Amino acid sequence: MTERGLAIVRTAALAAGLMWLAAPDVATQNTPPAAARAPVAPMPTAPAPAWRPPRTPDGHPDLQGYWTSLSFTPLERPERFGTREFLTDQELEQMFSAGVERSYEFTFANSADTPVYDATVYALDAWQNGVRPNRRTSLIVDPPNGRLPALTPQAKAERSWAPRESFDGPERLGLGLRCFGVRQPPIPTGSGYNRNAFIHQSKDHVLVEYEWESATRVIPLDGRPHLSPNIRPWRGDPRGRWEGNTLVVETTNFRPEATPEDGNAGTLRMTERFTRLDENTIEYKYTVDDPSTWTRPWTVILPLARIDGPLFEYACHEGNNGLVNILEGARNEEKGRPESR
Amino acid sequence: MRNRLQGIVGLGVAGATMAILSLAVGPLAGQAPARPQVPVPGQFPAYTPPLAADKRPDLNGIWQAFVTANIDIQDHDAQPGPRPEIMGAYGAWPAGQGIVEGGEIPYRPEALAKKKENVANRMKVEIHSDSRRHDTGDPELKCYRAGLPRAVYMPFPFQIVQSQDKIVILHEYANALRIINMTNPSEAPAESWMGWSNGKWDGNSLVIDTSGFVPYTWFDRAGNYHSDALKVTERFTPVSPYHMMYEATIDDAKVFTRPWKVSFPLYRRMERNVQLLDFNCVPFTEDLLYDHLRKERKFPPQE
Repeated sequence: MTERGLAIVRTAALAAGLMWLAAPDVATQNTPPAAARAPVAPMPTAPAPAWRPPRTPDGHPDLQGYWTSLSFTPLERPERFGTREFLTDQELEQMFSAGVERSYEFTFANSADTPVYDATVYALDAWQNGVRPNRRTSLIVDPPNGRLPALTPQAKAERSWAPRESFDGPERLGLGLRCFGVRQPPIPTGSGYNRNAFIHQSKDHVLVEYEWESATRVIPLDGRPHLSPNIRPWRGDPRGRWEGNTLVVETTNFRPEATPEDGNAGTLRMTERFTRLDENTIEYKYTVDDPSTWTRPWTVILPLARIDGPLFEYACHEGNNGLVNILEGARNEEKGRPESR
Repeated sequence: MRNRLQGIVGLGVAGATMAILSLAVGPLAGQAPARPQVPVPGQFPAYTPPLAADKRPDLNGIWQAFVTANIDIQDHDAQPGPRPEIMGAYGAWPAGQGIVEGGEIPYRPEALAKKKENVANRMKVEIHSDSRRHDTGDPELKCYRAGLPRAVYMPFPFQIVQSQDKIVILHEYANALRIINMTNPSEAPAESWMGWSNGKWDGNSLVIDTSGFVPYTWFDRAGNYHSDALKVTERFTPVSPYHMMYEATIDDAKVFTRPWKVSFPLYRRMERNVQLLDFNCVPFTEDLLYDHLRKERKFPPQE
């Protein structure tokens, strides 16, 4: 679809959203959350004092349940904050309110009369899905400036060669549009839909499902070696262990098409740490170490907030009407029929 | 100690009494271990499964069916498979004895006609940007989630990850996931390909009721199918350290005149360090599903 086509859809969606808001019977049931929301406690940044995480019957720290990784906090720190790690109370309130309003707008811009989703029914916006304020100025906590480290000269050169998106066929569209169901680690964040995760533990495995693409990882805890480099699962090859109250997961064997922040699958190693901070929060911390892509490792802290669940099946490929529409639209446009459906 | 006890239990009632005695008094000095029975297909000696930390039978592990029911759940002969002129024996499908108890599937007459139409059109794929994409073609051909019970007898392993209030079954085929609620049974909040599952323990058996299915999955490549009224009741019963018996009762009054049942054993995968790998078949279907939408077709239609 052309930029113009997208703009038309967006305008129509916005108009539909405004009409929806104006309908009085509905408006009383759905008071705009940005105006009416109750204050939400910011997420903790350290374990609650004297709080001991519950244990599973197998004696492991219990990380189980449904969690959301929704966040209004940018991956990289805005430069104005320099090396400052935390927001003031006032900045936090402003940042969170702006995020709620943006996600509220997203809901209504995708409302009933648009061709794709009625987001008001599915509660796709962050506010309705349990997002909580995060005091940090960025998700990246190391390097100290909160930003991705410099690329190596090799990575810089390779990225300048990256092929552009093309609508000639599915090959040069994103893996998400093609519904490859990849969603490699880390747990995806942002304020879009389906940023939820399900954690489940047996005596010797931890399973992590992301609602986005229903991507599921099974992490063995038995100390077995990694797979051969000839086997590269779409979500990498994780190995886990307990260190005190923390689940530590090392992942290698990434596929070249699906690495964190487009690192190099051949050299990238990811270490994730899951630690319960209190009843309703997990500190999810990960470090990406890929010396052929970045001049130093970098680390993110993404707090996870407990939600009620359930997670829904994300059968993306089975209903991938979007890819058909994109390619059909491109073919129609080549024939000079941009409006045809 | 444990192996010997199990051997003794296998001898039957008298053996069980002895086992209780030996439990009570501990190992009997000088007693030779009982000789295991010669295995007979279809029969398993009495078996007591190990328990998980919550004292429920421990079904954790990687399991797989070794039936050919994905080709046809009923008795079928070997077949050449599609495109034998290029696929040769690579593409041929093996014969198999069916998994349907009693052999017959009790279709309503009009539903049997639809089954026959399905098999005639199993490789006819027409992808539209709406649900017409499901009108023809085996969902497996398109790499769609397999639904139930097909996911269990697809020729791929699945892993059971067992906790207390939930049990997860993850399939290597399409990374398809089922979360079984073991407490607070609830109705499906939305339809899905793998259904909405509530489970309970019945003795050593895990019994799972699943409904809330989309009407698009098939039971096999032979076009056996169901509607959105499908309810599947499964029983996973451990019968040895390395086997479970699996049963699924299929109830769909829109398509069948009565409930019917499939059953077969599941085998524990025992390779050292065995783990689920990926069978992400979506990339393998793009040429089939979307070639007609490419600017330049890779596979122009042949006259």
